[in-house]
Amino acid sequence: MHTEAIDPPGVQWLRVSPKYVTVRLVEWAIGNVLMVAVLSLPLIFVLLGWWRWPPLWLAITVPAVMLVLALWRLVLIPRQVRAIGYAERDDDLLIRRGIFFQRTMVVPYGRMQYVDVAVGPVERGLGLCTLKLHTASAGTNAHLPGLPAEEGARLREQLSARGEARLAGL
Amino acid sequence: MSLPDKKVDGGWNRVHPASPFVRGWVALAAVGFFFGRDAFERMLQGRDFLDPNLNGRVPWLLAGGAVVLLLTVGGFILSWYFTRYQVAEGYVRVNTGFLFKQQRQARLDRVQAIDIVQPLLARIFGLAELKFEVADAGESAVRLAYLPLDQAKQLRATILARAAGVVSGPEATEEVPEAPEHVVLSVPPGRLIGSLLLSEQTIGILVGAAVVVAVSVFTQNQTLFLALIPGILGIGAAYWTSFNKGYNFTAAISPDGIRLRYGLLDTQAQTLPPGRIQALMVTQPPLWRIFGWYRMHVNVAGYGVSASTEGAARTMLLPVGLKPDVMRMMSLVLPDPGVEDPERVFTAGLEGLAPVGSSNPAPDEQVPDVQTDGFTTTPRRARLLAPLGWRRNGFRATRTALLIRSGRWWRALVMVPHQRTQSMALHQGPWARRFGVADLVLHTTAGPVSPRVFQAGVSQAVELFDQQAARAREARKRQTSEQWLAQVAPQAPEVAAAAELGKPAELGKPVQPEQHQTSTHQEDRHDG
Repeated sequence: MHTEAIDPPGVQWLRVSPKYVTVRLVEWAIGNVLMVAVLSLPLIFVLLGWWRWPPLWLAITVPAVMLVLALWRLVLIPRQVRAIGYAERDDDLLIRRGIFFQRTMVVPYGRMQYVDVAVGPVERGLGLCTLKLHTASAGTNAHLPGLPAEEGARLREQLSARGEARLAGL
Repeated sequence: MSLPDKKVDGGWNRVHPASPFVRGWVALAAVGFFFGRDAFERMLQGRDFLDPNLNGRVPWLLAGGAVVLLLTVGGFILSWYFTRYQVAEGYVRVNTGFLFKQQRQARLDRVQAIDIVQPLLARIFGLAELKFEVADAGESAVRLAYLPLDQAKQLRATILARAAGVVSGPEATEEVPEAPEHVVLSVPPGRLIGSLLLSEQTIGILVGAAVVVAVSVFTQNQTLFLALIPGILGIGAAYWTSFNKGYNFTAAISPDGIRLRYGLLDTQAQTLPPGRIQALMVTQPPLWRIFGWYRMHVNVAGYGVSASTEGAARTMLLPVGLKPDVMRMMSLVLPDPGVEDPERVFTAGLEGLAPVGSSNPAPDEQVPDVQTDGFTTTPRRARLLAPLGWRRNGFRATRTALLIRSGRWWRALVMVPHQRTQSMALHQGPWARRFGVADLVLHTTAGPVSPRVFQAGVSQAVELFDQQAARAREARKRQTSEQWLAQVAPQAPEVAAAAELGKPAELGKPVQPEQHQTSTHQEDRHDG
């Protein structure tokens, strides 16, 4: 993967598992398919002649726009997953994400208060997990999804050990 | 980990017996109101004390009232009896509850702030509440309500002395003297009123009133003014709260840290130990520029972010002040600014504006421009993205802190000490990419200050991101222990002497304890 403009120079990014695309697809389906289906109900009712109020054009436009947006999100998913990266440096962990709205975050090991590993049902089926880092700041919204389970466990141990070695007060 | 004192001392203490009544007077008043109102009204009307229609039911009603009253009072007494506290072995412990018991202990050297609060009723009785904050951004870790004021002060001194690592002798446990303090500034009431009148809410009110008047004239509808009444009441209440909280604001420095006192009816005295301030923000609403006023907010780990007026008041470091006041407070918070000429740098941060032409002509130029006071501002190419702010938005890193300025009309200067940076993130959206700029967000503990460098040139932002990570790392290695006074205890009398002489804490010549706090390499607990 090419390095984006805001990434610090000379960082070798590690990628998350490509299987994470599946997790995102399931999430996408639950969110968007349901929404489009619900928004399509007025259209069906209007077509069946049960409802009068939403004019036909409106009943078509709303779900159509949502459908286009949903498809757009669907197309983006593989690229978004490819854009997630992390790098362990000597004193901190770098996490990057995003294509349009990019974010590169640095979390010093000494600042980590605790490390979470969470596994959802779909992730468990694929042998993945999500790593969450917590610092004293609520703004540190550092989570790293789609890690293979053993990589997640390794990172957790690694981060905890390094955090302990470099622990600093607030 | 060495505790200041191995000896069990202090024993278990109780809060003042009157405290549940002071705290629960609302409940008592409600009971009284519920059962007494009817009879009282009847008396006023010159009728019988009791409703004649009730007849046989009277004893039952009276008995019911008495039972409720007894239960309430009994609950108060029980809650008082089972509330005990102890300060010993480096911990403060509080046990509460009789059905559901709660035992809580907090480490003294983890204290982030300690407040003494006196609500009006408590103040009448000479009582005070002691709040002990640790870093969890929620409610206070320990609240002792209520103690006699002297005892609360004594306890605060004891806790701070122990937290600071001043080991007191076995027989001197209760006799820790209060740290001497030296008043740094106070806010005159006139200025406070003026600042309220010129604050943002006034602008909002004027705009709102103008809209209402215009609409009512236009539609010839007089009843519209009636709708304003709740709004006016709310605004009056907001002004009153601000005035009540900001009245008689005094800041003082003592070896324990920064002391803030304020309040008209409810008074509050906060103590922020040295180095507990995570981030600081100086702001100036547009109308305050007439008089050159500023206000300051801080992030402190224990205070958290709360929308309530109390929370807002607690994170206020200075409700309104002139530039010298701001400089003085800056020097207390950041005794070592890490630059040669702090006053000039802070002034540039507060009011500076980059010249139109000179800012970063080449996109990759890294040299900070001397004419812009060292603040690296948004490159000229991004001026369409921030047409007003591009000459103002900027940052400057000193040896000890990162200064971020922003806002052309709502001027703001944010300061984050390097060793307080938690984590950082670079953000770049599609528009920012188009103009070759990026935002840098620094994460600190919850509070009113959220540091963000707006629209810095990409290369400068990435460089700052890297350097800042390195600086924070270095600063953390230098960081002193939690027991901030352990090294300076012998020097405390000097500070007292200085305070007595009335020597002001000049900028760049900080008061003794802070200087040691930042400069001494201490203990190997945080060895990296």
